[in-house]
Amino acid sequence: MHLVMSQAAERGARVIAGAALALAGLVAVPSCTVPSRQEPGQATAAVRDAVAQATSAVETTRLTLRLFDDDRIPSTVADTALLDQLRVLDEASTALTTLVPPDDASAAHRAASADAVDGAVTSVVDARAWVAREAGGNLSADGGVPTSYDELASDLTDVADGLGQAYAEAGGQ
Amino acid sequence: MKRILGAALGILTAIGGFVDIGDLVTNAVVGSRFGLSLVWVVLLGVVGICLFANMSGRVAAVSGRATFEVIRERLGPRAAGANLVASFAINLLTLTAEVGGIALALHLVSSVEPRLWIPVAALAVWLVLWRTKFQIMENVAGLLGLLLIGFAVALFLLGPDWGELVRQVTQPSVPQSESPAVYWFYAIALFGAAMTPYEVFFFSSGAVEEGWKAKDLAQNRVNVLVGFPLGGLLSVAIAATAAVVLLPAGIEVSSLSQIVLPVAAAGGTLLLAAVIIGIFAATFGAALETSLSSGYTLAQFFGWSWGKFRRPARAARFHLTLIVSLVVAVAVLMTSVDPIAVTEMSVVFSAVALPLTYVPILVVANDPEYMGRHVNGRVMNALGGVYLVVIVVAALAAIPLMIATGAGS
Repeated sequence: MHLVMSQAAERGARVIAGAALALAGLVAVPSCTVPSRQEPGQATAAVRDAVAQATSAVETTRLTLRLFDDDRIPSTVADTALLDQLRVLDEASTALTTLVPPDDASAAHRAASADAVDGAVTSVVDARAWVAREAGGNLSADGGVPTSYDELASDLTDVADGLGQAYAEAGGQ
Repeated sequence: MKRILGAALGILTAIGGFVDIGDLVTNAVVGSRFGLSLVWVVLLGVVGICLFANMSGRVAAVSGRATFEVIRERLGPRAAGANLVASFAINLLTLTAEVGGIALALHLVSSVEPRLWIPVAALAVWLVLWRTKFQIMENVAGLLGLLLIGFAVALFLLGPDWGELVRQVTQPSVPQSESPAVYWFYAIALFGAAMTPYEVFFFSSGAVEEGWKAKDLAQNRVNVLVGFPLGGLLSVAIAATAAVVLLPAGIEVSSLSQIVLPVAAAGGTLLLAAVIIGIFAATFGAALETSLSSGYTLAQFFGWSWGKFRRPARAARFHLTLIVSLVVAVAVLMTSVDPIAVTEMSVVFSAVALPLTYVPILVVANDPEYMGRHVNGRVMNALGGVYLVVIVVAALAAIPLMIATGAGS
């Protein structure tokens, strides 16, 4: 009986160890999927990907602010959506700053795109501060917080245009 | 009358319980990037899950035992062990994603960091598992999950170009901005999301928990054949709202907060509130189901006493498995890993594990020794054979496509 139990326990331990290994594999494999883009064409593609990511974040911010201004979403949802976009922009920024450009052309694309993404970060930070102000926070123009939705919307349009230009320069359509 | 009400409740909970965080995220991501050009995959997945859930429920109702117990007995410990490893690992990953999903839903309504919500969410899941009766737990989560119908309501309120949507469904194509490899990667992810293995194991174990007999087979069939396809329509509605609002704006979904924006745009705060409650209920319900499935798979393989119909003291190792699974899920999420990334991984690896999960069910459902006159018919076996091919192809292609596309990026 004891022998049967210990064999069963051993089998069980083997199965659990297998499951743990499989789980470790599940976590490890995705980390190997980040492509290394070293060739000029690949570097430009990586720049385009980062700019597309940033553009998505800016468009999400525009939609979020419009809905908040129309009283269609509460401040908590708006704040969460904007915070999520800051994370996306952080990823885009990291993708650009960690990219080693293989030639001058891709270096120029990277620099222009990094500037555009920096502008997007500033705008989303401003947008979040504005939402906090509208939700009753003690923030004013003296603290650099935009005073109106129109001001923010105009700023975001400029940022989106800048990103569009960076995307086009990197060969995007 | 009681039977009709029971059937209606079964269908409603099947609809509400169909969508989980994997369906939510994958459908929204796909909608925002490919429009409705991958709806055919949802259809394929729904037919597949109906087929195998029906088989699995039939095995449980006829034999009075859960599928995993029968698989172990019928195929032996080695083959059943492979099934266990694949199912348990995927289940744990899915549970992690669901707990993360609850935390994200709470983050959305509170602005409080998800990492603060994660232990709270896991504790709440455990308390419900510990204290609440199986049927109450399943029905409440399933019925509240029905609030996800808000996505379908939003779609109508948005007043889209229906002709264009129908064109995307009937003439699927790869958008210019995406590569064919990424299209197929998301096709497999969507297939994995629709056919998540835990659904079948939970379904068959739930049948034992609720004491189904052969006479309940008709109700089982109705629940599956009506409830799951309607649940699939909810998935399509999620993709469609993203396709109508987010795709034209160039927004690629990467967070839960983006998924609800089209709903707010269409219906304002009231509809948004309903959908957020629906998301909470859907992820909470799925967390309950995946926690239980962890216990079911392990307990049924090792022959431990299991089930919520037993007092915890009578199924101690089963309940300990639930607790340990939840602790592991919390531990993984507390490393700051993005719950959405975990979700995306879980649906892809679900696809990888599909053959190990579904082939044994097909074998058992064909064994007259267990099934008697309720053994699979020709049509079921023909469909099962077709799905076997699809499942194997999806499983083989999943990881190469994930590597080639940088996980769809």
